[in-house]
Amino acid sequence: MTVAHDPAPSTPRSFRDPAGTLIEHHGRILRVVYPQAAADLESFLETAAAREGMESGKLVRSVRIPASEFPEGSADYVVEHERIPFASYPYEWPPEMLHAAGELTIELARRALADGFGLKDATPYNVLFRGSEPVFVDVLSFERRDPLDASWMPYAQFVRTFLLPLLAARHFGMPLDRVLAGARDGLEPETVYRWAGAFQRLRPPFLNLVSIPTWLKGRESAAMYRPQPSSSAEKAQFVLEGLLKNCARHLKALAPPVSDSTWSGYLDHKSLYSAEQLAQKEGFVAEALALARPHTVLDVGANEGHFSSLAAKQGASVVAIDSDPAVVGSIWRRAKREHADILPLVVDLTRPTPAIGWRNQECAAFLDRARGRFDMVVMLAVLHHVLVTERIPIQQVLELASELTREYVLIEFVAPDDPMFRRIVRGREGLYSHMTQAWFEAAAAERFDPVRTKRIDGLNRWLYLFRRRGAPNS
Amino acid sequence: MTSTSPLPVRIAKTLLICLPLLLATPSKAHAYADPGTGAFVYQAAYAAFLGGTYYFRRFLDRLWGKRK
Repeated sequence: MTVAHDPAPSTPRSFRDPAGTLIEHHGRILRVVYPQAAADLESFLETAAAREGMESGKLVRSVRIPASEFPEGSADYVVEHERIPFASYPYEWPPEMLHAAGELTIELARRALADGFGLKDATPYNVLFRGSEPVFVDVLSFERRDPLDASWMPYAQFVRTFLLPLLAARHFGMPLDRVLAGARDGLEPETVYRWAGAFQRLRPPFLNLVSIPTWLKGRESAAMYRPQPSSSAEKAQFVLEGLLKNCARHLKALAPPVSDSTWSGYLDHKSLYSAEQLAQKEGFVAEALALARPHTVLDVGANEGHFSSLAAKQGASVVAIDSDPAVVGSIWRRAKREHADILPLVVDLTRPTPAIGWRNQECAAFLDRARGRFDMVVMLAVLHHVLVTERIPIQQVLELASELTREYVLIEFVAPDDPMFRRIVRGREGLYSHMTQAWFEAAAAERFDPVRTKRIDGLNRWLYLFRRRGAPNS
Repeated sequence: MTSTSPLPVRIAKTLLICLPLLLATPSKAHAYADPGTGAFVYQAAYAAFLGGTYYFRRFLDRLWGKRK
């Protein structure tokens, strides 16, 4: 197969879909549609729902390409999709993004219903994010529906993969990766039932989403899975509309609350930098961005996303990662509000998302998706956490940074006498006293050439803009 | 359909939909129960309930809307 080797292989997981398969062909995203599904897809793409979706960017732009362009022979119907720059998976999203993906799913399902098409599966893997905007990418999930059919089969899947994880996040503070990384098809009501208290089980949303499905378990008959035609198309449409509206209501009730207490990590900025010092840091970052002019930026330990915003304003596409879901959620809210090209993800650089799925090949590891994809990697106020709390050797951190970036690294070095450094050291100063500025510069010199340096006045913190040795001259 | 009716009303409405089903069908608790079937049954029950309200709505429409 003449598929160009790509560092981030996309979706061999489309092997499950009976209607087609997704292929990456020389950097293009192509979907080969099997003959029995081609007619449905063709009609779907011509509906008003699909056109509106593609125009607004909510549905991935898809265009049929002549089979001759795709030389693999037997493919009759091939569609090319708009390429989403950075793939991300539901277990990397903060609850706000899972919620947005759920809203998009229901919105498109309702819109398509009016045009005679139904959604045959409702899972967050149908959605990717373009910056902060959710995009529905699995066009084969739409199928022509029997007008008399009043059932929405994917309801249970929607509950398991969207509603229950959001419920667990909201009511038990459970991070999404704990729920979604281990199970492809989400959280079972029976599992949540065991976690819930006796009175909790009787109240909405638990009553509808958790308790009743648990009590009803085992009472189904094979007959229930057979399509049961309604007496009229109008009635069927009414029922389906009602079902989807019910899902929308549940989603609304499970929207992640705006938390004001996103102060995990804020201490670094709010208490440690005076206004003047923060301005200096911002000035340096702005200068570095102007010099480097990166198209793509990876902001590691992005915290509130302040510097991601700066980069986005300068015209870069930003992926912002942090290990705290609350903070990543607030980056997303802000990016959504400002229409900024920032994709915030819950990823800990010292323990990044592994490759997951069948043969560990369905969902690529974060590092595999990120390697060589960014013109600049930003690591502000995070290095000392990596060196001290995670005890990663400095050479390894810098090696990873040089793998991830194509050219520049913007890094903040924090010396051992800095108050935050002292706090995280927890009394074991002896282990880290050698981490002086000279030591850091020597380690960096193995791989990087310094371009700009600045000490923040009054703090034991230095900012560096490095250029990777061996980077092509821009 | 309001989304903000008081809590006891919401609980009562939900149980009204599902109690008949709970009482009418035997529990196959000792047989292999496919996980996730419970939610599917709930969906089927809710769809049936909505089907009922459809006729009621149509009746009301005829009374008020279509007549006028």
